[in-house]
Amino acid sequence: MRGLWPIFKRELFAHFVTPLAWVAMTAFLLIQGLHFFLIVQHFAGQLDLSADAGPVQTYFGQTMMLYLPLLFVCPILTMRLFAEERRNGTIEPLLTVPIQTAGLVLGKYLAVLVIYATMWLPTLFYMALLGRYGEVDWHIVASGYLAVIAIGSGYLAIGTMTSAMAKSQLTAALTSAMAITGLFMIGVGEFIFPEGLARELAGHVSAWAQMNDFSRGIVDSRRLVFDATIVVLPLFITVRAVDAWRLE
Amino acid sequence: MIVVEHLSKSYGALAAVSDLSFRVERGQVVGFLGPNGAGKSTTLRILAGFLGASGGRASIAGFDVVEERLDALRQLGYMAETSPLYPEMKVREYLAFRSELKGVPRTKRRADVDRCLELARVSDVAGVLIGHLSKGYRQRVGLADALIHSPPLLILDEPTAGLDPNQIREVRALIASLAENHTILLSTHILSEVEATCSRAVVLAKGRLVAIGSIDELRGRGRPELILTLRGDEAIIRQVLSETAGVGSRVIEPHGEALRATLSLTAEDEAGQAETTERIVHALATATVGIREVRTTKATLEEVFAALTQHEARTENEAEAKR
Ligand SMILES: Nc1ncnc2c1ncn2[C@@H]1O[C@H](COP(=O)(O)OP(=O)(O)O)[C@@H](O)[C@H]1O
Ligand SMILES: [Mg+2]
Repeated sequence: MRGLWPIFKRELFAHFVTPLAWVAMTAFLLIQGLHFFLIVQHFAGQLDLSADAGPVQTYFGQTMMLYLPLLFVCPILTMRLFAEERRNGTIEPLLTVPIQTAGLVLGKYLAVLVIYATMWLPTLFYMALLGRYGEVDWHIVASGYLAVIAIGSGYLAIGTMTSAMAKSQLTAALTSAMAITGLFMIGVGEFIFPEGLARELAGHVSAWAQMNDFSRGIVDSRRLVFDATIVVLPLFITVRAVDAWRLE
Repeated sequence: MIVVEHLSKSYGALAAVSDLSFRVERGQVVGFLGPNGAGKSTTLRILAGFLGASGGRASIAGFDVVEERLDALRQLGYMAETSPLYPEMKVREYLAFRSELKGVPRTKRRADVDRCLELARVSDVAGVLIGHLSKGYRQRVGLADALIHSPPLLILDEPTAGLDPNQIREVRALIASLAENHTILLSTHILSEVEATCSRAVVLAKGRLVAIGSIDELRGRGRPELILTLRGDEAIIRQVLSETAGVGSRVIEPHGEALRATLSLTAEDEAGQAETTERIVHALATATVGIREVRTTKATLEEVFAALTQHEARTENEAEAKR
């Protein structure tokens, strides 16, 4: 797709010269570091570790601290994608080059996705540390990261969409944070709704339940299909929204 | 190269462009002239595929700007008003990014960037952050960007706005040098700009076309005035002038010991005006009026422009008043 690659490269570069991006990433890593520290402290007191509830499982599946940060990190990573270009007028040169809108949107999206994945990279160090001093099931590590990336992909797509629809970065960040929280809340319905369809649906979209499954090595493809929907749909809407500016 | 047919665009209730039609032929350098808010940027943005029209159509090199947008854009180097750029990029980086974006083949890219840096005279700041550049330099980086994929057509929205006189002269010289092998449509609200760089002009006021033609044709639209310095009986002079065909309004006033008559000629073309002049002089001489001076004044383009755009504004106001 024409335009994807240069847009992708520029967007990566632009993120690394944005101070707020660094602040968000640093905050994220601090929280993950603390998270890991607390888990290790907890397990340090226990002698007998069952395979099903080791530190790795706990890290990925049993605490909120893993993905609560995503609620602020994803909106911050995505908010500037389109809103900033509209604010300072650079969207005009960008939309008057011979490239398809899909290339533009995908280039920008993939850039934040790569940054997001990079953000998780240092946490591999914790896994290596655990592997050094104990047993680590690397299958579980892999499925844990898969879930983290799959869920994040959806959140980033939602953020990309709100950045294209909002006029300011702040509105973009707030609306995507609200949408992501909303999605998360529906998942929490799993523990609230009585037995039935609503509860099943809630369980199906629940990021919490997904992390729980994946942290035990249960990779359910239906969950991945759902995650893919949350990527494709917002990106499709983003393309339509950008094209709609032309018709304004 | 550019065909605009019955183009219109409204922002809500405001009609920014109404029923606009004009053509730009290959090789022409056309000034798109009009006071602020006339709808110039709106029209150019529609041509560049950045805005959709409310009605009518436009094409570039035969490609419809909506239906065949990508083909049309490949032919077009567009510079938006105020030339928005990424401040965190260096000039050379930016141009390399833009050339890749516009599909310049990898092998040509480096040479093209160098060529455009040279052409737009920004080689000396190639390694400088765009955010640190002066307005004049930023404008020229915008020009370099417009040129980067070697398009045959350039559309430049107010390329000299906000520049100091030296920078204006530089940008104009640059445009003049580009005119040799590009078709150019450039917008401006400054008349001298058009006189300096363009061979033709499209004049817009309140979103409507008020005039189109070569600079000389536009100048010709101002009616010339015939100025006579005469000596003799004022009553006879008045009578002779009123009896001569082809004289419109006349003002006769004392001028030192003599009288000065300022006449407008009703003939449309120069031949007709010359003939009227001849008849007036002949009639005055026959009536034994002393003729001390005969000269014609051409209206300046400035006056034509003012008359054209004010007329449009006036009829608009009258229409509004009637409502
Ligand atoms: N995005 C917009 N929304 C609403 N009105 C606009 C917009 N852009 C321009 N206008 C209005 O349309 C008219 C024409 O604007 P413009 O095309 O920018 O004129 P020019 O470039 O000749 O100065 C102006 O009255 C302007 O206020
Ligand atoms: Mg303008």
